[in-house]
Amino acid sequence: MLVWSRTGRALTWAFALLLFAVLYGLPIGVIALASISGQWNGVLPSHMTLEHYVNALQGDSLEQLHVSLWTGFVASAVALVSGTWAALALRPLARLPKRLLDVVFFIPSAVPSVSVGLGLLVAFSRPPLLLNGTTLIVLIAHFVLISAFTYGNVSAGLARLPIEFEQVAESLGARPFYRLRRVTLPLVTPYLIAAFSLSFALSMGELGATVMVYPPGWVTMPVGIFALSDRGAIFDAAALTMVLAISTSIVLVGLSHIPTRASPR
Amino acid sequence: MADIALRLPVADERPAVNSWIAPPLLILAALFFFPLALIVRQALTGDGDVLSIAKFASVFASREFHHALGNTLTIALAATAGCLVLGFVLSVLIAFTPFPGSRVIARMIDTFIALPTFLVALAFTFIYGSAGMLNESLKALLHLDLPPVDFLYSQWGVMLSEVTVYTPFVMRPLLAAFSLIEPAQIEVAASLGARPLRIVSRIILPAALPALVAGGSLCLLLTVNEFGIVLFIGAKDVITLPLLIYDKAIQQFDYTTACVIAVVNVALSIALYSLYRFVVAYFGSRRAGLV
Amino acid sequence: MPADLAGTANAVPAVVRVGVERAADRSSSGIGFEDVTVAYNGLVVLDSLTLAVNPGEIVALIGPSGSGKTTALRAVAGFVRPVRGRITIGPRDVTNVAPHARNIGMVVQNYALFPHMRAEENVAFGLRARGAAADVIRQRVPECLRLVGMASYAKRYPRELSGGQQQRVAIARALAIRPQVLLLDEPLSALDAQIRRSMLDELAKLHRELPSLTVLYVTHDQTEALTLADHIGIMRDGKLVAFGDAQSLYRYPPNRFSAEFLGRANLLPVQALVATGGGMARVRFRDGAFVARNHHALPDGGECLLCVRPHDLCLAPPDAASNALTATVKSVQWQGDMQSVELDVDGHLLRVSCAPMHAPPSPGAPLTVHFSATQATLVPETMVRG
Repeated sequence: MLVWSRTGRALTWAFALLLFAVLYGLPIGVIALASISGQWNGVLPSHMTLEHYVNALQGDSLEQLHVSLWTGFVASAVALVSGTWAALALRPLARLPKRLLDVVFFIPSAVPSVSVGLGLLVAFSRPPLLLNGTTLIVLIAHFVLISAFTYGNVSAGLARLPIEFEQVAESLGARPFYRLRRVTLPLVTPYLIAAFSLSFALSMGELGATVMVYPPGWVTMPVGIFALSDRGAIFDAAALTMVLAISTSIVLVGLSHIPTRASPR
Repeated sequence: MADIALRLPVADERPAVNSWIAPPLLILAALFFFPLALIVRQALTGDGDVLSIAKFASVFASREFHHALGNTLTIALAATAGCLVLGFVLSVLIAFTPFPGSRVIARMIDTFIALPTFLVALAFTFIYGSAGMLNESLKALLHLDLPPVDFLYSQWGVMLSEVTVYTPFVMRPLLAAFSLIEPAQIEVAASLGARPLRIVSRIILPAALPALVAGGSLCLLLTVNEFGIVLFIGAKDVITLPLLIYDKAIQQFDYTTACVIAVVNVALSIALYSLYRFVVAYFGSRRAGLV
Repeated sequence: MPADLAGTANAVPAVVRVGVERAADRSSSGIGFEDVTVAYNGLVVLDSLTLAVNPGEIVALIGPSGSGKTTALRAVAGFVRPVRGRITIGPRDVTNVAPHARNIGMVVQNYALFPHMRAEENVAFGLRARGAAADVIRQRVPECLRLVGMASYAKRYPRELSGGQQQRVAIARALAIRPQVLLLDEPLSALDAQIRRSMLDELAKLHRELPSLTVLYVTHDQTEALTLADHIGIMRDGKLVAFGDAQSLYRYPPNRFSAEFLGRANLLPVQALVATGGGMARVRFRDGAFVARNHHALPDGGECLLCVRPHDLCLAPPDAASNALTATVKSVQWQGDMQSVELDVDGHLLRVSCAPMHAPPSPGAPLTVHFSATQATLVPETMVRG
């Protein structure tokens, strides 16, 4: 407690709440308001409508919701497997090679997404691997961009796992694979779920690489939102942004309710 | 016991590498490092087969590249500075003057990290745009005909959006670092007559320094790489490196120029990432707030 | 009927015979350390340990933290690999055997019960990992839970159990595989004093019920070691500095460190030793002379330490022949059932524990204390400084 006087504390609280409201409440509130605005010429919209949501949940926009959800699930699932595999394989290594490989798996998160997209275009626009214009290239772009985050989350979970659990399991006669399946993986399940959730959220909002590589038939929501706002349909863009945020939240809340019996003490 | 321990020539027993690491490493090599290498090759050979740095020279001499590089660095540095100041103030408020709902707010900020960055840029057009809430309010209040506030479609608009989006990345390590400060330390200081500002400058700031440096270098990396915000603000004269790459490759189909700029951008990002790793390693992940 | 099963009276699945029953049938086996040296990154943490734990015996390794006692236990478990030496379990050299193939039971300080499994699943873990048959698991799991008094908690998750209950389940889990040896690593140190006391009794009872079980017990608590162990090894700086049965190690400590670590001892430097026969010797201290046991047969004329336990010093002379010592009272502490007096003799601290006195001496006053020659022992002054 830094401020002791009653008025001082009240002033600080008022300041803090105002700051948070303007910085983080206002943007979300405004998007929400815009998504139901019929017309907005003054300080506040002049009338409300649900028309933009109707637009957002049909035709191209609905298709984009499907595309984004699919891309998010597939890319996150693949990234989860590969990230968990990498984190497990790195764990027993000696200090120096471990740190080196750790950096290697983290680097994709440091490279700008547009450059990742450009690289995929350059690499896969010619035979033998002609992926340009396919759905697969979008999935690959998303996988590359989120793989570092899944790897990071899982290896953080493994690092926090007390070594005794696995050692006791081993002393009781559990072979490596049995130990992995019955002890290690169940105990890091919360981290696996967190890793999947973060990857999924990042994939849902990905724009830089997608805008470089997407084929006409596989348009994700962020690309669609940009297209809408670029042609001046900003209320439709706001409504689609709300659909994006809400659908992401539903999936994340759903994931957070997966029962895990491994509650760390 | 170290004084009596004798040293034996024993190496680290753990293996340097094992074959299990191969599958994920190969996937990453094929999908990430191979394309990255091809960007470098395309930048050096163009569409022919001859290695040359001619393309680099011409890009480096161009005004649009200078402009974009300057914009990228200015925006990144200013936005990072803004994030550090704002992040520090907000974290101190949350951690040391717990107000009703501060926990909920801390958690909300955590989820803000997962939202797409362009959301803020889009929201800002409704708030600060020429026909936005702020301008309409001021026009009505002051009986003006022209919008009085006009900063959104400039570097300022991008900076403000990035400060909003990336401040949580500074707050996370800061709040973790603050949780390591003993509350008793502050109470003792206060009982000795130290005023709040003095406590902040003498106790809180030094404890927060590693987290500030770590969060700041992460912010610098993310703001250099930012694309969505710049694209959505869409100001004609605010072109950054990622936007220029997009423009060259997608709008003008000039892949070689795009690759040259991408090489510069990637090199800059990797340098900043190295800085970040170095800072975290130097302070130790615990003190840097990345427990 | 296949030929190889023709002679078998009751057909037990082969895997059970191999994985579970064989260990039980085999007569119990001891643990052997032969010149075992462990080093981490070139730093020696266990220095050529040679030690034998006989079958069916409890051996406690005690010592301060960093003394190498836990490393010795982990070497038996297979989690650290010696750079030199051999470790045997029974007749088998296990130095290079993987931990999962050593057939040991291990209980660690924080229990390490698998939090995602119920108590019974924890106990069944080792059997399942070895591919034991379902009916063996069905029979063995309740049996082991009953042994530790946890039969009614089988369905609970670890987080629903108290520390002491978790530790019982951990012991049941270790015993379920019928291990050749049981390794206990500070098993009671996470429990509070009262529960620790009753768990100690339980462990003693458990060993009476399973007399063939060989136990290696690592602790920093001398009470646990003295209560449970047949033999005690005292470790310091990676070395075994004393080994013997609990009684004689306590009564005749072989060096200063053992005397001070295992029960508190008063140690006074004495000179001019003269053996007087019958295992006794006379030594000189200041102007006077003491008679004490010369258990270690120290040579005449040498310097050594006189070791007297605080409760062996008394204020009233029990007989005329006893050794007497006059000192200055430094402090007096009443501890309920005991009175603790600290004395100063020529700069040496002397602790006396005695029954509460009606008129305790005041600090600064002179006080004469006595001890019986048979309760005092001479300890060689070794190179190791205390």
